[in-house]
Amino acid sequence: MNFHVLVIGGGIAGMEAAITLGDMGYKVLLVEKEPSIGGKMILLSKVFPTLDCASCICTPKMAATAHHPNITLMTYTEVKEVEKKPDGSFSVRLLKKPRYVNESACTGCQQCEKACPVMVPDEYNYGLTVRKAAYIPYPTALPKVAVIDLDNCILCGACERVCPAECIDFTQTAQEIEYTVGSVIISTGFKLFPAELKFHYGYGRFKNVITAMQMDRLLSPTRPFNTILRPSDGKIPDNIAYILCTGSRDHTLDNILCSRVCCMYSIKQAQLLMGALPLADITIYYIDIRAFSKGYEEFYEQAKAMGVYFVKGKVAKIEEKENGNLVLHYEDIENGGKTMQAEHDLVVLAVGLLPTPEIAGIFKDGLEIDDYQYIKEVDEDLYPGKTSIDGVFVAGAASAAMDIPDAILHSDASASLAAAHVEKLRRRK
Amino acid sequence: MKERRIGVYICYCGGNISDYVDVEKVREVVKDEPGVVVAKTTMFACSDSAQQEIIEDIKTQKLNGLVIASCSPKLHLLTFRGTAIRAGLNPYQYIQVNIREQDSWAHTDDKRGATEKAIRLVRAGIAKARLSEPLEPIRVDTVPKALIIGGGIAGLRAALGFSDLGISVFIVEKSSNAGGWIGKLRKMYPHDRTGKEIISSLIEEMRKRDNITIFTDAELVEKSGSVGNFNVKIKVKEDVISLNVGAIVVATGFDVYRPKEGEFGYGMEGVITLPDFKKLVDESSGKIVVNGKEVKSITYIYCVGSRQSPTVENANLYCSRYCCNATIHTSILVSEKDPKITQFHLYRDIRTYGKFETLYEKARKNSAIFIKYPDNESPKVERKNGKLCVRVKDVLTENEELDIETDLVVLVTGMVPNKNDSLIDILKLPIGKDRFFNEVHPKLRPVETVIDGVFIAGTAQGPKNSAEAVASALASVSKAGALLKKGYVELEPQIASINRELCEWCGKCLEACPYSAIEKVKEKEKEVGRVIVALCKGCGACVPVCPVDAIDIKGYTDKQIREMIDALLKEVEIG
Repeated sequence: MNFHVLVIGGGIAGMEAAITLGDMGYKVLLVEKEPSIGGKMILLSKVFPTLDCASCICTPKMAATAHHPNITLMTYTEVKEVEKKPDGSFSVRLLKKPRYVNESACTGCQQCEKACPVMVPDEYNYGLTVRKAAYIPYPTALPKVAVIDLDNCILCGACERVCPAECIDFTQTAQEIEYTVGSVIISTGFKLFPAELKFHYGYGRFKNVITAMQMDRLLSPTRPFNTILRPSDGKIPDNIAYILCTGSRDHTLDNILCSRVCCMYSIKQAQLLMGALPLADITIYYIDIRAFSKGYEEFYEQAKAMGVYFVKGKVAKIEEKENGNLVLHYEDIENGGKTMQAEHDLVVLAVGLLPTPEIAGIFKDGLEIDDYQYIKEVDEDLYPGKTSIDGVFVAGAASAAMDIPDAILHSDASASLAAAHVEKLRRRK
Repeated sequence: MKERRIGVYICYCGGNISDYVDVEKVREVVKDEPGVVVAKTTMFACSDSAQQEIIEDIKTQKLNGLVIASCSPKLHLLTFRGTAIRAGLNPYQYIQVNIREQDSWAHTDDKRGATEKAIRLVRAGIAKARLSEPLEPIRVDTVPKALIIGGGIAGLRAALGFSDLGISVFIVEKSSNAGGWIGKLRKMYPHDRTGKEIISSLIEEMRKRDNITIFTDAELVEKSGSVGNFNVKIKVKEDVISLNVGAIVVATGFDVYRPKEGEFGYGMEGVITLPDFKKLVDESSGKIVVNGKEVKSITYIYCVGSRQSPTVENANLYCSRYCCNATIHTSILVSEKDPKITQFHLYRDIRTYGKFETLYEKARKNSAIFIKYPDNESPKVERKNGKLCVRVKDVLTENEELDIETDLVVLVTGMVPNKNDSLIDILKLPIGKDRFFNEVHPKLRPVETVIDGVFIAGTAQGPKNSAEAVASALASVSKAGALLKKGYVELEPQIASINRELCEWCGKCLEACPYSAIEKVKEKEKEVGRVIVALCKGCGACVPVCPVDAIDIKGYTDKQIREMIDALLKEVEIG
């Protein structure tokens, strides 16, 4: 056996599971398909309900993952196939994608990034800015090694000429690697609801309608503009609206579930905005405020006390004015239920979380997904994280929408089940 | 002493510090302090690339002291000690200076003052580093056994988890039966499995294990020792048993909120709490019958004892998390028993989070009527002409005042912490503002307490449903498991040390010591004090009482503290 446990996905859930198992003395292989570990959490500003900066929690976990004596980290690598062997262990096939950069020689100096003439929308800033075709995803990326995005590269050779370590290598090819592992943890996280699908809210058509993930980028320490600007004209907004349940609890969009995090992250952003833009008005349009976990209700009350407006009512549609401002049509339930209109200069859509069922396809033995496309937990009551394949576990938002504290607990629970499985394999021998 | 070569790093914390403290100025002022050979600023000192740079500097500049001015040591002391270790520097020659929680965040209105304070704090850190000595942690072998306090679902599930890892477990349950609240429940959400079934499957599995022992009618009465090696005494009925364990998991669960007489009509006939109602539903075979009369309508009042206004005495400000789901699930069970029954749900926000939203949908399809009442105007329960009547303002229909005649009022009561005064006292457990046990940090160390080796699991930490309590129990298994499987722990070496040359044994130090960690020994015909290494916590109570100044805390010597004070008081000129 090469590793006791394979962890698929290096976001907060995967890192937590890997560190916990490593601390317990098991050999762990952590595979991440992106060029850096850190997942979505590292891109956030601060996190509720403690308002710790996300980086302050996430970067040390990233470093602990990378330097743990029991963890082997493979980034920019995909798991292509997992198959159970007769002895209960798993054979896994990985595909290490070419970075076109010699990973061990690159110092992360970013000279190639400066020299590269190609600009493409920056997915790590959710399209708010551009990145180069030769790039390091973000300043706190780990490993801090460049990658060349060959789909957009024009093969001009500028990066090759400036690289002081001579580590640009266009001859690299994808490598297939096979290992045997005792147990597998799936921590592939979630996708964000594509906001353009909620047509009446105008995302993609109206410039000043943005998603909450974009707002988190604007507020984060690695923020692109160092202030909050609205996209149409760079004006600092002073009347911001949040629309909760965008893409959640919505039959018209085929997602009836609540996404669990949007109420709280909106309340968090509202508090941060009050600090960043003290004169701005912030209004949150909601169905129910779901502040259900430890310290959350108190956090909600704090936002109310700070002067955030909460309006119970569903927004039906948004119209754009010539000056870029937006008119919201909504039902003002607490004041008689009349249809009202309100003007705001920036609208933030609190987009929900969606499952990542594609990962089930790599399991040759057939991995069950639940009615909502999440990885199915077959016995949540006593074995949270246990899936339909004995020895395969799910951790964090791959099993259901959940917030960071819940994902961390869920990962640690899955880690204990994976450890128990490895012990069982040992006893069998 | 060797020449001091100190590296100083001042963190921006991505704006958390640099928005209020001029970190470049701080660097400029402290770079020429005696002993400083490297002084740098960094965007995120905790990021991997910054840690690598620090390691590089320690190696190439042969640093023998490290100062990082960043956040609270509570957050990252261990992170940066790890950095020092990877670079080959003794971790106790690393000094963390807190210029975030204790400076930038506290003085957002005074940037100049914050910068000045940062300079003073960093100088003090450098002064301490100049006198730092390499220390070795105290290594203690761990006992591969765990003690679990509480035999509810969290405690029982944790026991099996430990057993799976080959760790022996003792469970201490104060009542005469294990199983807790869940053992008494029938159908639970969302899968309709019964609580009884879940608990009996656990107990059946536990019987097969020879490394699980359960004591009922038992309580913890004494604890000594420290992480990895605790000695505990358990009172079981009349006997007292001594055990030696490496870790303790506290899974003492919750209690239900008990409304005061008159609160939402509590005490009136026909007004009952959710747990009592759930029992009634569980035990009824067909229609719901109370006092021989068939119940045709039920009114649920949500948030009783939860989300209370701060004006209430000892208010529970928190949301109890499980009650919306539990009530709606129970109301679905009621509709299944009697499809014609009318059910009104008077709520503030329906919090059927995540996949539980489907329960809410199902209840609405079963014709349950949901009425939102204003946060500041609670429903009133009265008895009119012998009938129960609930008056409520309905936010969803233009704030209309409704009078609902009803056969039964169910008060949706939340969770409150159990009374655990003696346990809190014995284990020194930390309590949060909500009076539940407090974790060290909800994201970094969610099942650990500030007492090393003592973990919390389940609803003792805060309201949860059964499956969530199990997840937290298993998380405590993996964290305690990591501690116990390693075979040893390293304790902080910053403990007292007595200079035997100076000591004239007067016993004052032993009197002052809260841990009885000093003993009198005879050395070369002279009676002197000796510190019992495994017991000393480094609190320092013995230091000032010594009449001959013979005691020092390693890493916090009198000399270090004096130099730090001098550095703090040194004039600051920032132009």
